[in-house]
Amino acid sequence: MRTGVFFENYGAEEQLWDSQTAKTMMAVFVVALYLLPLWGSDYMVAMACIVGIHLIAVMGLNITTGSAGLISLSQAAFMGVGCYAVSWFARWGIPFWLALPMAGLLAALIGMVVGLPSLRVKGMYFAIATLAAHFVLSFLFREWTPVTGGPGGVNIPAANFFGIELVGDHRMFYPIYICVLLLGLAAANITRSYVGRAFIAVRDRDISAEILGVNLLRYKVLAFMLGSFYAGVAGGLLGYFYGAITAEYFTFGLSVFYVAAIIVGGLGRVLGSVLGAVFMTFVPESLRLMSSALSGSIPSLANLLLPMGQVVFGILIIIFLIFEPRGLAQMWARVRRAFHLWPFRT
Amino acid sequence: MTNLYIFIEFVLLGLLASGLSALIALSFVLVYKGTHVVNFAAGEVMMLGAYLYYTGAVVLQLHPAAALFISLVGISLVSVAIEAFVLRPLAGQPTISILMATIGMASLLHGSVEIIWGQSPLETPALLPRFPVNWGEVMIPGAAIGNFVISSLLIAAVVTFFRFTQTGIEMRATASDPVTAASLGVDIRAAQRMTWILAGLTGTLAGTLIVSSGSVSPALASVALSVFSVVILGGLDSVTGVILASLIVGVLESLTVGYIDGKMRDVFPYVVVLAVLVVRPFGLSGTHEIERL
Amino acid sequence: MTRNRRQVLKTAGATALLGASAWRPAFAKDKADIVIGAAHPMTGFMSFAGVASNYAMGDYINWRNQSGGVLGHKIRYVGEDSAYKVDQGVAVVKKMIASEKPSFIFLDGSPLSKAVARDVLATGTVMTGGFSSSEALLDQTLYPHHFLSGPTFGATCQILMEYIGRIAKASGNVPKIALVTSDQEWGTESNFHLKARAEKLGLPIVQDIVTKPTGVDVTSEVAKLRRSKPDIVIFQGYIMNPVPEFVRQMREAGINAQVMSTTYGVDRIMYDALAKNGERLTGVMPYRYGYDTDSKMMTTMREYVAKVRPQQESISLFYIHAWLTGMIFCEVAERCIKANKNLTLPNMKAALESIKDWDTGGLTGLLADLSTHQIKSGRVYSYDPASKRMEPASGWIRV
Repeated sequence: MRTGVFFENYGAEEQLWDSQTAKTMMAVFVVALYLLPLWGSDYMVAMACIVGIHLIAVMGLNITTGSAGLISLSQAAFMGVGCYAVSWFARWGIPFWLALPMAGLLAALIGMVVGLPSLRVKGMYFAIATLAAHFVLSFLFREWTPVTGGPGGVNIPAANFFGIELVGDHRMFYPIYICVLLLGLAAANITRSYVGRAFIAVRDRDISAEILGVNLLRYKVLAFMLGSFYAGVAGGLLGYFYGAITAEYFTFGLSVFYVAAIIVGGLGRVLGSVLGAVFMTFVPESLRLMSSALSGSIPSLANLLLPMGQVVFGILIIIFLIFEPRGLAQMWARVRRAFHLWPFRT
Repeated sequence: MTNLYIFIEFVLLGLLASGLSALIALSFVLVYKGTHVVNFAAGEVMMLGAYLYYTGAVVLQLHPAAALFISLVGISLVSVAIEAFVLRPLAGQPTISILMATIGMASLLHGSVEIIWGQSPLETPALLPRFPVNWGEVMIPGAAIGNFVISSLLIAAVVTFFRFTQTGIEMRATASDPVTAASLGVDIRAAQRMTWILAGLTGTLAGTLIVSSGSVSPALASVALSVFSVVILGGLDSVTGVILASLIVGVLESLTVGYIDGKMRDVFPYVVVLAVLVVRPFGLSGTHEIERL
Repeated sequence: MTRNRRQVLKTAGATALLGASAWRPAFAKDKADIVIGAAHPMTGFMSFAGVASNYAMGDYINWRNQSGGVLGHKIRYVGEDSAYKVDQGVAVVKKMIASEKPSFIFLDGSPLSKAVARDVLATGTVMTGGFSSSEALLDQTLYPHHFLSGPTFGATCQILMEYIGRIAKASGNVPKIALVTSDQEWGTESNFHLKARAEKLGLPIVQDIVTKPTGVDVTSEVAKLRRSKPDIVIFQGYIMNPVPEFVRQMREAGINAQVMSTTYGVDRIMYDALAKNGERLTGVMPYRYGYDTDSKMMTTMREYVAKVRPQQESISLFYIHAWLTGMIFCEVAERCIKANKNLTLPNMKAALESIKDWDTGGLTGLLADLSTHQIKSGRVYSYDPASKRMEPASGWIRV
C-alpha cells in the first residue's frame, strides 16, 4: 500500500487531495455520482436528492459551528428563508441559477441581522439566542401570510434551464449535486485559507485570536453569514424539489438534526458533513426498511421499531460523543491511515 | 372601573401562572449553577416525571400523593443515571458536546416515553383540589391558586435547603469552586448528583401540576422551551433572578394574550430572549462570566 | 481511546453493515390487478389517526376482495408509514410509485399532498385522496388528481352555522358566538369560513380567540372570553387538548355557553373527555358515527372489525374516513373498468366526477356527490348523557 506522502513545497502541503491516488479516487467517485440517475433506482435517486439538500445545509452549519465554534440552532429557519425567497424569485421569473444564490444572499443578510446582536454573548447563551431566533422566524413563517402563505404554505414553480423543465428527481438531481460540489469545494477551500484559520482561532481561543489581529466581530458574523448562505441555497433547492412547502417543514427538530449530523460526522471538516448527513438521513430510513421487512414475520416488534427512531437518534448521539467525539470523519481517517500503512500498524 | 378590573385580573393570572414556570426555570438554574450545563433535556425529564405520576395514579390505582412520591423517586433514579452515564464521561468536553449530549438525552427520553406509554394523551387525575375564586369582577380559575402555592412552597424549600443545610452549602461550594471544595473534603461527585436529582424533582413536580388539569401527552416536553425566556431574563445561575423573571414574564404573557392576541403568546418568550441578550446578556442577576485565558 | 472501545465499534459497524445489506422483503408478491398505496402517519403525533386509517384501508380492501374485488379484479394494498413528516412521506410515495405502481394513493395530510403533487401528476396514472380537508387541495390546476372524502373544513363550518342560524330563527333569540381557534391550517381555515357564514346569516361573533396549537395554560384566554359573555363557544382545530380544561375553567368563570366543534374535533376522544366533566358536545360530523345502526355499510364495517380485530373497541372518525376513501378508490376503478377505459388520470377524473347520487351504504347519510372532488354534506350531532354517545340533532345538511 502507499506509505508516506512527501511534500516538496508549501503549496503541495495545502492541497485538498494529497496524492495521485486520492485525486483519481475522487474523480471516479464524482463521475459515478453524477451518473447515478442512469444506474440507480428511482428510490435511490430520490433519496440522493434529499440527502444532497440536507448536505448543503449541514456543510454550512459545519462552517458556523464546526469551524468557528458558534453553536447555531437556527439552520432550519434559514433554510425556510431561502425556500420562501425562491418562491418569490421564481414567480418573478428569475431563473433558478440566479434565484438560488439570491436566496442564499437573503438568508445571509437575515443571518447578519440575527448574528450581530447575538454575538455579544458566547457559547451557551449564543445557542439560546439562535434558538429564540429560530422560533421567531418560525412564527413569521406561520403568520406572515402575504409573504409566506401562512400555514398553507407556498407553491414554487418548476425550475427552468433554458427551456428544459426541471421536474422530477432525475432532472433535479443535477442542480442539487452541482451545488453540492461547488459549495463543498468552497467549504474545503475556506477551511485551508486565512479565513478558515481565523475561524478556527476564534473557536479555540477567541481572546488570543483577537490579540493576533483577527477582528472577532467581523469573522464571527462572517461565519454565521456563510452558514446561513448555505442554508438559504439548500432551502431554495428544497423548494424547487418539492414544488410546494409549508412552514411545518422547518421545525426546531430539523435544526437539531443538522447539529447532530455535524457532531456525528465530524466538526470542521467537509468529509464530516458528508458522512454526518448521509448517516443521519439513512438511520431513520433503514429503521423504516427494517421494520417493514420485519412486519411480515414479527408484527409486534415492527411497531416498536418505528418510534424507536428517536431513541436510536439519542443513543447514537451520546455514543458518538462519548466514544468518538471527533466523529465519523475521524474513524474514516483512521481506517484510511491503516490502509496506507499496511502491513505496518499505526 | 371595569377596565381596571380587567387589567388586575390579567396581572393576577399572570402572576399565578408564573409559579409553574418558576419551578421549571429553577430546574434549569440548579443544573447550570451546579454543573455549568444547560439542560436541554429538562422538558423531557419533566414529561417523564408526569408520566410516572400517571402510571402511579392510573395504572397502579394509587392515591395521587402516593403516585407523586413514586414519580419523584423514579425521577431521582433517572437523574442519577443521566449524571453517571452521560455527563460524567463527558466532563471537560467543549460546550457543544455537552449541549448535544443533553439534546441526545432529550431525544432518548422522548422516544422511550412514546414507546412505553404511546403517543396519545392520557387522562390524569388531579393532584390538588380546585379553588376557583370570585372576587366580584375578578375571577381566578380553579387550578391557578393551588399551583402557585405549591410552587412557592417548593421554591422556598429549595432556597432554605441551599442556605441552611450542610448538603446545600456543600452544593453551593462545589458550584462556585469545585477544586477548593474538593480540597476541603466535599464530595463533589455526590454534590453534582444531588444537583441533578433536585433539578429532576422540581421539574417533575411542575410537570405533575401541569398535567393535573387535564391529560399527559408527549407534547408536554415543549413547554420547557418557552421557559428559556425566564431563565435568560433572570440569569442562568441565579435563583432569585429566575423567581423575579418568571413573575415578570408571566404577567407580560398574560397581558399579551389579554390585550394583543393569543398567537403572539407563542412567539413572545423568544422575543424577550433576544431583547434581553442584546441589552443585558447576563440577565437581571446572573453572574458575569469571567473570561479565562 | 483504548483498544477495547475501538474493537467494539469496529465489530458494531461491521455488523450493522452486514445487517443493512441483508434486507430484502422476502415474501413473494401476488399478482394483483389494482394497487392502492397509502402513506399513513402511523407514528408521530398523528399516530392515532394513522394506525386507524391503516387498519381501515386494509380491512376494507380485504373485505372487498372477499366479496369479489372490483368486478373480479383483486385489489392489492401497500400501506407505509410517513410519520407525518414530509421528507419521509415523499420518499415513501416516490418509492411506491416506482416499485408498486399504484393507481390510487392515500396521503396523510395537506403538506404531503402538496409536496407530491408534481410527481403524482407526472405519472399520469395516479389518483390521490387522504386526510386533509383543506380547500387549497381543490385547486384543479394544481391538484386535478386529488379529491377529499368529505366536506372541506370550510363547508363543515358552514353546516354548523346553518344549524345555529336555523335554531336562532326558530327560537327568535340571536345567540352570541365566540370562536376559539387553534393556530394551524385547519384552525385558521375554519375560522375564516365561520366568520364569513356568520356574517351572511347575521349572527354576531363577539370574541375571536386564537391559541397556540399545543397550549397548556389557558387561564388568560378564558379570562378574555369571560368578558364577552357568549352563548355558544365553537372550538376549531383541536382534537382534544386543551378543550376539556378550557371548558372546565369556563364553567368556573360562570360562562354557560354551549360547546361546539367540527370534523376531527367531534370524535370519541373529545366527547368522552368532555362528558367526564358533565359536558355535552355538539358538533358537525360528515359521516355517521361508528356505532350507528341505520347504515348498512356501518354495520358491515363493525362486523368485519369484530371478526378480525375484536380488541378494537370503537370505530373512530379516522377509520371511517379511510374506509370511505377506499370505497371511493374502488368505485372510480369500477366505473373505469365498466366503461372499458384504462386507469389513466383523465379517465379516473372523469369517473370521479361522474359520481353523483352514489349510495355509500349510508356512511355519508345522503347520497354522495363527488363531482366537485368533495362530499359537501354533514349532520349535527349532540351528546346524550343517557346513551353516552353522540346522537343526531339535525337532518343531513348539504351545502
